[in-house]
Amino acid sequence: MAVAQQTQEKESEDCSLLPLVHDIIKCMDKDSPDVHQELAKLKAKIQEAREQISNMPGVDCSPVEQQQQLATLREQVRTKNQLLQKYKSLCMFDVPKAS
Amino acid sequence: MAAAAEKPTKERLLSVLDDLEVLSRSQKLPQPGEDVQVLELLVQRDREFQELMEVAQQQGSVHQEMQLLEKEVEKRDSDIQQLQKQLKEAEHILATAVYQAKEKLKSIDKARKGSISSEEIIKYAHRISASNAVCAPLNWVPGDPRRPYPTDLEMRSGMLGHMANMPTNGVNGHLPGDALAAGRLPDVLTPHYPWQSSDVSVGMLPPHHGNDFGLEPPGHNKENEDDVEAMSTDSSSSSSDSD
Repeated sequence: MAVAQQTQEKESEDCSLLPLVHDIIKCMDKDSPDVHQELAKLKAKIQEAREQISNMPGVDCSPVEQQQQLATLREQVRTKNQLLQKYKSLCMFDVPKAS
Repeated sequence: MAAAAEKPTKERLLSVLDDLEVLSRSQKLPQPGEDVQVLELLVQRDREFQELMEVAQQQGSVHQEMQLLEKEVEKRDSDIQQLQKQLKEAEHILATAVYQAKEKLKSIDKARKGSISSEEIIKYAHRISASNAVCAPLNWVPGDPRRPYPTDLEMRSGMLGHMANMPTNGVNGHLPGDALAAGRLPDVLTPHYPWQSSDVSVGMLPPHHGNDFGLEPPGHNKENEDDVEAMSTDSSSSSSDSD
């Protein structure tokens, strides 16, 4: 549980753009020639984030809609299980072989 | 806020990312007093971006669960279709069985309504057999004119032929040459065959009941019944019962 929380925090820090912005501001304060490099990094990070968002599954709908879909699927599974159980519990009869 | 929550997460993420890009670009030309606001906006958008990324990851987990549920639903659908086919087949078998049973019940009912006493059938069997219609007589030889059916001559010399000689038939306009065709044979022309006994009156076939079967009205000829009833165990039945 603690490991999962730490992993989650690391992932949220990974997607944050503030560290890169901070580096850019530092370079600008120092008038460092690395400003362009840092800007390029920021641009690449933003592009990478866009691609990551495009490939993420399940984000094509809002969380509320997704929960509704999940509830519907669960209900479907439950209903179909009940139906199968009902039909399978009917009395069985053997088909007489044609003599 | 509520409207924003209804938007797809992807759309919101991309929107926040675009804002971050615009804000980060604006850093190149900071205006006095605006740099703090820009930075605050940047921090706010970044926080929002991180929250939305967490929501997106949770949605990803839910999406995996939904995929598992969809697979399960597909499997259940397949099971239900299979069961449906089996039920359809069972229905067909049962319908066929019910139909056949009904037909059999109809046949049983029909047979009961038209039931015939076995004694009657045996009587008729004896009558048919007694007229030598199913087997030649023991003394039959080739050349014997007797046949297992009434011959032309026998028909004319029988009761039907004599009925044609009744007075009412004289006005039917037949020519004298048609007397033979009309069955009115003079007595001198009536053939007498060796197999005919002298006791048999003219117009009667051999005493072996051949004339009786098919020609006599039911219940009128008793001598056949005596022969048959001698063989039958039930003396209470009579030919009149066959009506």
